[in-house]
Amino acid sequence: MKIYTGGGDCGKTSLFSGERVNKSDLRVEAYGDVDELNSLLGALVAFLPSGQATLSGEIQRIQSDLLHVGAWLAVTPGSPASSELQSITQDHSKGLETAIDQLEQELPALKDFLLPGGHVSAAWAHVARAVCRRAERHVVRLLAGTDEDEASLQLQGVIMYLNRLSDYLFVLARYCNKIQGQSDRLWRK
Amino acid sequence: MKQFNTEKTAAKSYSTKLLARRWLTEKIFELELTRPSSFQFAPGQRIRFCHETMQRDYSLLTTPSDSTLALCVFNVEKGQFSPVLTAAEIGRKFSFTGPYGYFTYRPSERPAVFVATGTGIAPFLSISRSGVTEFTLLHGVRTAADLHYQDFFRRTARLYVPCLSASPDQAGAIENGFGGRVTRYLKAYFPPGTYDFYLCGRQEMIRDVTLLVDEQFPGSLVYTETFY
Repeated sequence: MKIYTGGGDCGKTSLFSGERVNKSDLRVEAYGDVDELNSLLGALVAFLPSGQATLSGEIQRIQSDLLHVGAWLAVTPGSPASSELQSITQDHSKGLETAIDQLEQELPALKDFLLPGGHVSAAWAHVARAVCRRAERHVVRLLAGTDEDEASLQLQGVIMYLNRLSDYLFVLARYCNKIQGQSDRLWRK
Repeated sequence: MKQFNTEKTAAKSYSTKLLARRWLTEKIFELELTRPSSFQFAPGQRIRFCHETMQRDYSLLTTPSDSTLALCVFNVEKGQFSPVLTAAEIGRKFSFTGPYGYFTYRPSERPAVFVATGTGIAPFLSISRSGVTEFTLLHGVRTAADLHYQDFFRRTARLYVPCLSASPDQAGAIENGFGGRVTRYLKAYFPPGTYDFYLCGRQEMIRDVTLLVDEQFPGSLVYTETFY
C-alpha cells in the first residue's frame, strides 16, 4: 500500500471534516504539534528500561488519547464529522491527575527549578512537555477564534487535557531519572 | 437526512460464510456472505477480510438493515488475495475484522458529488441503498462493460455520468456517457460552485481530483477513500 497520495503537493491538506486548508493553517499547526508530541512519547517509551510494562501501557494509552485530540483539532466547528469523534472529557484529565499523584508518591519533594535532562528517557519527556505546551498555546488560539458552543466546549476539554498532560510529563521526566538511578539536576542560580 | 454514525461501531473479529458469487463483468464479481448477528456498521464503511497471513479491505455494498453482507471484488489474476475469493467454494468460512473507516455520508447544504473509479463504486452503493438520493455520481471505468450497477444509480442519483477512459467511442451510445476520465469531465463540464466531493477509487484519481478541487471548486469539501 502506497503511503503517498500527492493531494498535498500544492501546500494544502484535507481536514477530517473535509475542508481543504493551507498547511500553514492554525488548525494544522495545532494537530501537527499533537502529532509531534505523540511521536516524542513513542521515542520516550523506546528508552524505558525493561520491567516498566505498566508505565509503557500508561503512555501508550495517552498516545491513543492524543489521536482523538488530533481528530478534534482536524474538525471545523459545526461539522457533522464531529459526531464521529470521541470526546475529550474531564475524565481524561482526571485520569492524568491520578497518574501524576501515583508517580509523585515515588519521588522526593521538589523545591527548586530543574534543568531539563538526565537520562535519555527523561530528556525525551522534557522535550515532549515543551511540545505539549506549544500544542496547548495553538489550541488556545483556536478557541479564541471559535464561537460555536459545542466546538468551544470540546476545545476547552482539549486545553484542560494538554495542560494536565504537561504536568504529567514533568513528573514523568523526574520518574524516568529516578528509575534510571539519576538525581534531579537542580538549577544553580 | 439521517447521518450515519461510525462512533459506536468499534472494530471486532467475526466469522462469516460464503453464500453466493455473482459475476458482474469478466473480472469483477459480487460476494454474498452471512452477516454475524452482532456485526454493526455504517454505510460506506469497510471490512478487513483475512486469509492465512493476508488481509484485504473491502467496502460493503449492503446496508445496515440487510440480513447478509456483500462485497465487490476485482479479480487480479496474478494477485494473492482476490484469486482466493474467486476460487472459494460456496459455504466456505472466512474471518474478518471491522468495521473500519469514516467514509460515510455527511449531510450538508452543498450538493454531494460522488466520484468513483472501478470497484470504488462500492461504498456509494451502500450509502445510496441506505436512502441518500440527492447526489451526482461520476463513475470512471475503462469500457461500457465495466458499468455494473448503472441501472441502480440511474434510478437513485440526481445525475449519473459514466466516464469511459479506454473506449471513448462507446460513450455516445450511453445516456449521459462521457468519453474520457472523470477528471477531464469535472474540469471541462462541471459547473463552478462549492460541493461536497466524495472520492473513492484509484490513488491517481483521488490526487488529480483533489488538486482540481483546489483549483476549480474552492471552498468545496473533499472526503476520500483510497482503493489500491
